[in-house]
Amino acid sequence: MKLYVMFKQSLKAIFRNKGRSFLTILGIIIGIGSVIALISLGNGVKATISDRIATLGTTNLTIMPGGQRNFGGGQSSSQRGGPGFSQNEGPSGFGNTSTLTVDDLKSLQDKSKNPKLKAVTGDISGSTILKVSGEDTRFSVLGTSVSYFNIHNLNLKSGALYTDNDVQSKTKAAVLGSEVADEVFGTGNPLNQTFMIENDTYKVIGVLSKANESGFGNPNAQIFVPNLSAMATFGNNNFNSMTAQAIDDNSVDQAKTDIQNTLLSAHKISEAKLADFTVFTSRDLLSTVGNVTGILTSLLAGIAAISLVVGGIGIMNIMLVSVTERTREIGLRKAVGARTIDILEQFILEAVILTLVGGVLGIGLGTIIGKVAARFVGFAPIVTLSSVFLAVGVSSAIGLIFGIYPAAKAARLDPIETLRYE
Amino acid sequence: MEGIIKLKNIKKIYKTGEEETPALKGIELAIKKGEFMAIMGPSGSGKSTLMHILGLLDHPTDGSYILDNKDISKISKSKQANIRNKQIGFVFQQFNLLPRTTVLDNVMLPTIYGKQKITETKARELIKEVGLTDRINYKSNQLSGGQIQRVAIARALIMGPSIILADEPTGNLNTKNSKEIMEIFKKINKKGATIILVTHEADIAKYADRIIELKDGQIVEE
Repeated sequence: MKLYVMFKQSLKAIFRNKGRSFLTILGIIIGIGSVIALISLGNGVKATISDRIATLGTTNLTIMPGGQRNFGGGQSSSQRGGPGFSQNEGPSGFGNTSTLTVDDLKSLQDKSKNPKLKAVTGDISGSTILKVSGEDTRFSVLGTSVSYFNIHNLNLKSGALYTDNDVQSKTKAAVLGSEVADEVFGTGNPLNQTFMIENDTYKVIGVLSKANESGFGNPNAQIFVPNLSAMATFGNNNFNSMTAQAIDDNSVDQAKTDIQNTLLSAHKISEAKLADFTVFTSRDLLSTVGNVTGILTSLLAGIAAISLVVGGIGIMNIMLVSVTERTREIGLRKAVGARTIDILEQFILEAVILTLVGGVLGIGLGTIIGKVAARFVGFAPIVTLSSVFLAVGVSSAIGLIFGIYPAAKAARLDPIETLRYE
Repeated sequence: MEGIIKLKNIKKIYKTGEEETPALKGIELAIKKGEFMAIMGPSGSGKSTLMHILGLLDHPTDGSYILDNKDISKISKSKQANIRNKQIGFVFQQFNLLPRTTVLDNVMLPTIYGKQKITETKARELIKEVGLTDRINYKSNQLSGGQIQRVAIARALIMGPSIILADEPTGNLNTKNSKEIMEIFKKINKKGATIILVTHEADIAKYADRIIELKDGQIVEE
């Protein structure tokens, strides 16, 4: 009851000075607004990337040479397509030669050792330069096993895919992504046409239908060739990476363990932490991306939070002015029986209400900023309940912290001093 | 009549730097329950200081203050606040009301800080008694000086105090308003409240049953 009356009183005191109250909380509005906007944009980025990873296939596993490390790579600006986490040429890892051998691929394809795997491919990536309307353009070349097309849901539009026989006999055959076919051969029929990769002549035997851009690569801008042929052409003895597909979602973890065990024994390594390869599941990738975007979001939100501290100091300033202005009111309240604690409560309550209102308005502002920004960056911001609670919690905490000093100053005043105050 | 207030050798010394200015030089005073007493004296005589000490708004430098047979010279600040809330009602010369606040809310102000439940009905009755029912929702800045003092009186009475302290309550009022305010005090006194009035006007002091005069911090005349 008493708290209710005091709450009503504080609201009245705040509304008595509407303009000033608004200016006071402007700092909090902007601070909370930018925190909310940045967090929601960060969440939006995370969700967008996660969606893309999900299109990689949740049952897919990637085996990379080298010990545990982050996904690196990325595309050079002149090269189109290609999975982002593979290197252009040569082995990846810390300058070591890749340790993923053709024998490794064979033992992974052995169903008795890896019962949970539906398919495994050994991948080798490189690039070649082809003419597009007379201009040299670099295209990414992926040497891979036959099952790659199946794992990644790539369908044939015309011609044929290469076969296991083509792989074993290192046939120089190529399957083109739809964009490559369109750009290089235009309206003409690309089938049976030839082109050069390094010093070898490859013949186009098939063209893929347009696929969704998935993960980090664009399969439409890629040239697929038998992996053993690519090894010969690029002069590599080992794979840059391998892709495996588990039989279903529930088998992914078991498949990962099986792969690790198979490769550890093949490489004669006794301890898992010394492994010269790394197995990633889509889920691992998701958590890596989650970590990175999470760190970036917190960093940006942290910077925005500085404005909250500045806003809090603004509140403290105005509350101090208010205490001076209302000295007589404090005196009167003390004369009619207000204790020190009552005055303390009243001024803290006012500060908390001010910042809380600022926090709520800030959530609105942040949401709007997020929505507007989203129009320019092309993904939807996500305002989560937890960020709202965080904002409200932080703003009331600021009210409390920065309200205590002015409130204590008001409460300490001697009744006689306040009544005499001119 | 039973004694309600007893002051023994109350001294108040103001210190400004090295200089000591005595405001009260050993006041001995006994006030009985239901008395209507006026404290008179020229400005600087210490009458306001005395009233502030009586109202627990200020602390004596020395001496003891016995209220209702209890020595309250050394009690805690929060206990003093409780006594101000329950047992004493104040009417000041000016700045009596909360700014931009309605008559009703002003009268209800002390109830926020008290433990006992006081209803709005009682506030309305008191506002009627001081003749402001038609102004009950007016804000303090819409009231005249006389009306402000009436609101202050209603507020002083809301907790049912045994003592009313009035510090120059008519200081800012014209003769007609002053007379009306004093009549209200007289009425309250008849109902049993002890009233202590500080004034420098003889006309106002004559409403009291007992007049003491202060000069240079001492009671010079009863």
